[in-house]
Amino acid sequence: MKCEARQNDCARACGDWRNNWVSGFSLMNPDSDLQTLMARYQRGDFAAATALIRRLSPQLHRFFVVQVASRGDADDLLQETWLRLHEVRHTYRAGEPLLPWLYAIARHIRVDHYRKARRAAAREERLEEMPEVAAALPAGSGGTPDLKALLAPLPESQREVIEMLKVEGMSLEEVARATSSSIGSVKQKAHRAYEKLRERLTGMGLGAGRAGGLP
Amino acid sequence: MRDREIDEILKKAAQAPHDVDPALLDEVARSIGSSLRPVRPLPPAWVLAGGMVMICAAVALAGAARLGLNGIQGLSVLERALIFPALGILLWLAATASVSEMVPGSRRRVAPGLLLAAGSLALVAIFAVLFHDYRSERFVSQGLACLTAGLLHAIPAACASWLLLRRGFAVNAVAAGMMAGTLAGLAGVTMLELHCANFETLHVMLWHTAVMPLSGAAGALLAWAASFRGRLGRSRAPRS
Repeated sequence: MKCEARQNDCARACGDWRNNWVSGFSLMNPDSDLQTLMARYQRGDFAAATALIRRLSPQLHRFFVVQVASRGDADDLLQETWLRLHEVRHTYRAGEPLLPWLYAIARHIRVDHYRKARRAAAREERLEEMPEVAAALPAGSGGTPDLKALLAPLPESQREVIEMLKVEGMSLEEVARATSSSIGSVKQKAHRAYEKLRERLTGMGLGAGRAGGLP
Repeated sequence: MRDREIDEILKKAAQAPHDVDPALLDEVARSIGSSLRPVRPLPPAWVLAGGMVMICAAVALAGAARLGLNGIQGLSVLERALIFPALGILLWLAATASVSEMVPGSRRRVAPGLLLAAGSLALVAIFAVLFHDYRSERFVSQGLACLTAGLLHAIPAACASWLLLRRGFAVNAVAAGMMAGTLAGLAGVTMLELHCANFETLHVMLWHTAVMPLSGAAGALLAWAASFRGRLGRSRAPRS
């Protein structure tokens, strides 16, 4: 009994050490930390799978919230994405960047969802109304501009490129991989998106100095 | 307004906290945990691409050996030195593109449609430069025989390639199908170059080359039909 308790303590200590090591390592190189977690997940480590879910879900969820209409849909898509990622987790190869792999699958799920939604005429009308909603640029919590409203006037392909580049901080190469396109095409989409954003924001008389204080 | 100012606005918008319902994350973790077991990652891309090239070469060689290696015997050294390396390069490009389409997040060097079009044009150009017999005897009947033989050899190449890549996951099924079809079509063209002794310019340019785009189109169509059926099945399945 005593021996079992000592083993548990030891395992807990090892777990704590490993967690500390992982979080310390993540400060040094977040991408390779994600890759390490993914490799452990592929080896069947439940703790690594849970850590990945906790770390990557907020950004995946935001990706869906910006792209689709409702938060409920984004919840469904997030769940569906993780189930699909789980099914095809063997397609991730060690040493490759994780985010392009993840977003390529998330995009696939979203496109599937979009096709289903397109069949419903009501949803189509709602998407057309989105730019009008965006004109108001409502503030999110804490007075920061709402990302979804900010990006809503952009076409879907430009919106996802801007989100991956500027919000998730992915490189051009990573976005090109995630969207199965060339770096040139990503640059072009980002350029066009900036043109549209500039037009809209200038029309509304907004500048960086006022961004934080948007109504 | 400058780009930097737009960057600043986007940065501020991105800094807003975005939380996900912890119950949802627990549910995801639970459903994943119930079927969690170690998996074997896919081999490196060059291994898969190499395997696919070998399969296509084997199918082409076996087919030509069965039907007779009349084509390669009738070709001059220059013709052999131009046609087969070009086919080898196209096979390698199509194989790497095919692997990229089956591994999410892979680097895409060339778009599948572009590769198919450019590959077909390159073959047409090579045949136009090398063959100068402008007769066209029994153009349609001989042509259809070659086209059928090429496409029939593309089928086993496609099946064997699919076996090799069956563990992959295509995020764009149509593009993946098109690339697999193109690769299989190239196996058919290679078989025809090894076997067919009809060196009439128009025959080679049209009927031999046509195997590749037709096979690519068939691959894209089949993949589209399969993914459409899959989507239909998923939308009809009751959600848990």
